[in-house]
Amino acid sequence: MLASIASEALSGLEGKPVQVEADVVAAAPAFYIVGLPDAAVQESRERVRAAIVNSAYAFPSRRITVNLAPADLRKEGPSFDLPIALAFLVATGQAADGCDGRGPLAAVGELGLDGTLRPVAGALALAESLRRRGVRGLILPAANAAEAALVRGLEVYPARTLAEAVTQLAAGGGAAAPPADLTALLGSPPAAGADFADIMGQEQVKRALEVAVAGAHNVLMSGPPGAGKTMLARRLPGIMPALTLNEAIEVTRIYSVAGLLAQDHALVTRRPFRAPHHTISSPGLVGGGGTPRPGEVSLAHLGVLFLDEFPEFRLSALEGLRQPLEDGEVTISRRLMSLTFPARIMLVAAMNPCPCGYLGDRDRDCTCPAHRVRQYGSRLSGPLLDRIDLRLEVPRVSPQDRRSGAHGEPSATVRARVSGARERQLARLAGTGAYANAHMGARHLRRLCTLEADATALLDRAYERLRLSARACDRVIKVAQTIADLEAAPTITAAHVAESLSYRNRSHHDR
Amino acid sequence: MNARQQFGRAAEEAAARYLTQSGWRLLGRNVRIGRGELDIVARRGRVLAFIEVKARRTHTCGAPEDAVSSLKRRQVARLAELWLAARPWATDGIDDVRFDIIAVDSTAIPSTIRHLPAAFTCDR
Repeated sequence: MLASIASEALSGLEGKPVQVEADVVAAAPAFYIVGLPDAAVQESRERVRAAIVNSAYAFPSRRITVNLAPADLRKEGPSFDLPIALAFLVATGQAADGCDGRGPLAAVGELGLDGTLRPVAGALALAESLRRRGVRGLILPAANAAEAALVRGLEVYPARTLAEAVTQLAAGGGAAAPPADLTALLGSPPAAGADFADIMGQEQVKRALEVAVAGAHNVLMSGPPGAGKTMLARRLPGIMPALTLNEAIEVTRIYSVAGLLAQDHALVTRRPFRAPHHTISSPGLVGGGGTPRPGEVSLAHLGVLFLDEFPEFRLSALEGLRQPLEDGEVTISRRLMSLTFPARIMLVAAMNPCPCGYLGDRDRDCTCPAHRVRQYGSRLSGPLLDRIDLRLEVPRVSPQDRRSGAHGEPSATVRARVSGARERQLARLAGTGAYANAHMGARHLRRLCTLEADATALLDRAYERLRLSARACDRVIKVAQTIADLEAAPTITAAHVAESLSYRNRSHHDR
Repeated sequence: MNARQQFGRAAEEAAARYLTQSGWRLLGRNVRIGRGELDIVARRGRVLAFIEVKARRTHTCGAPEDAVSSLKRRQVARLAELWLAARPWATDGIDDVRFDIIAVDSTAIPSTIRHLPAAFTCDR
């Protein structure tokens, strides 16, 4: 009359083991769920009851106590429906647990009233965690199977209905889903769409963006309305290098937990490009909520976070970006838990130089009072600007360029150069955990980047003259390294450092 | 005993007769526990049932089975738990324990009897 099924709870991007125990006895009839369940887990009773009856099993009138152990871990969401139903059916002798001696199977899944299994969020993270704990296999909704099959060393048993799950359990694992062919999944073509060739002129800005994308450096573009800042940013996905397998799995894990994984794409294969509106709340941007969920910075992990109208964002949201920009992750603390979401982003910000937008324009006068200009720029704090490596002015397209309709290089050509530079970085950074120059730690920077003597001399002079911070100085070296990588140069020369410095200093936002 | 009480008593008689004819063995009738009362406790095979009897002469206030309010359900459930606690042997040879409702509908003569097995549980 007692049965137990292994399951897994999602906590941030990690799985935590949960044992689902069911005790069914002849006593005043009731259905209790204990073990710190939230409302969605309590509602599981109604779904389980209906799914069992509608799958032609009996729901006897007895006292059913379901315990979700450990009792001090808060259980959330509908993913315990399936293990609860299975434990109940085993406890009432309507299903057999055929795993004797072969190691138990775990189960997750949400039940519909008719007994169909609905997909759950975070199946990839749950599967990875089960494999780490040495669990043999997992019974889960068929819609999650492709995602879980990304994990090597865990048997994945898909089921479309409760009855199929019972069959899988009775066989101790019947028909396992084949492991995913990872290279085939990765080999999808880059995003077609807007091309860099569409943009007239702006050659200097395009060069700077190429450098930025090659090393995943943060960029701030400033210019009058209509100069093409948004247009340039929107074309970045076309020149971003393809995700490597490890990167793809990291990104997929986040999208899976956020419930944003497309049904037919088990693996996210394109670098994220997130462009939240400037009215976004601070938790929406950096992550948060009662049950912390990844924010836009995490959804943009290993891709681009594009913030248009940068100074219009809430101050709390902007300042919340400091930690992720520095550490490449966000830590969200709650009374009972502290969660860390990865957030290695390339920040691309765009803004007007002043409220009217025409400060510093060649042919049009700025109409803003001086104090308004100051106010506007001062919304961006020093610590935030210090983390932005490339500050670009995007001027109005010159009349000559506009008339000639001068078309630049197509995105594919730029992408090839960027990919080459990224491969050189990956080779150099192997073992550091970083995938791009921007994410090098200070320690790795000293060890891996070789500056020529005159490059060091130039940097030292710049440090004093430009009153760079130590962090800014490191960031100058990282950008210089990327420029060297684009040329396949073995060391960083004075020319690389000079170009890098020019990007940092070319702005009137420095005070 | 007034007319209302007599009507209620007659309905319980009818319910008891119906149960006996259907093969139930009555373990108790009008079982008083503290201030509460269980209408009928009965057993058939491996099933033990606590049966609440409700009768109606008109449907002005709805069908009789709808008159078992959530308060009444909670009360029956609590009394049943007490009844079981005092008799640990009562569940020997029992698989299912149920709360049933017997509705005696006297809107027409003769009355009709509706038996609702497992009408409610402790938690709903």
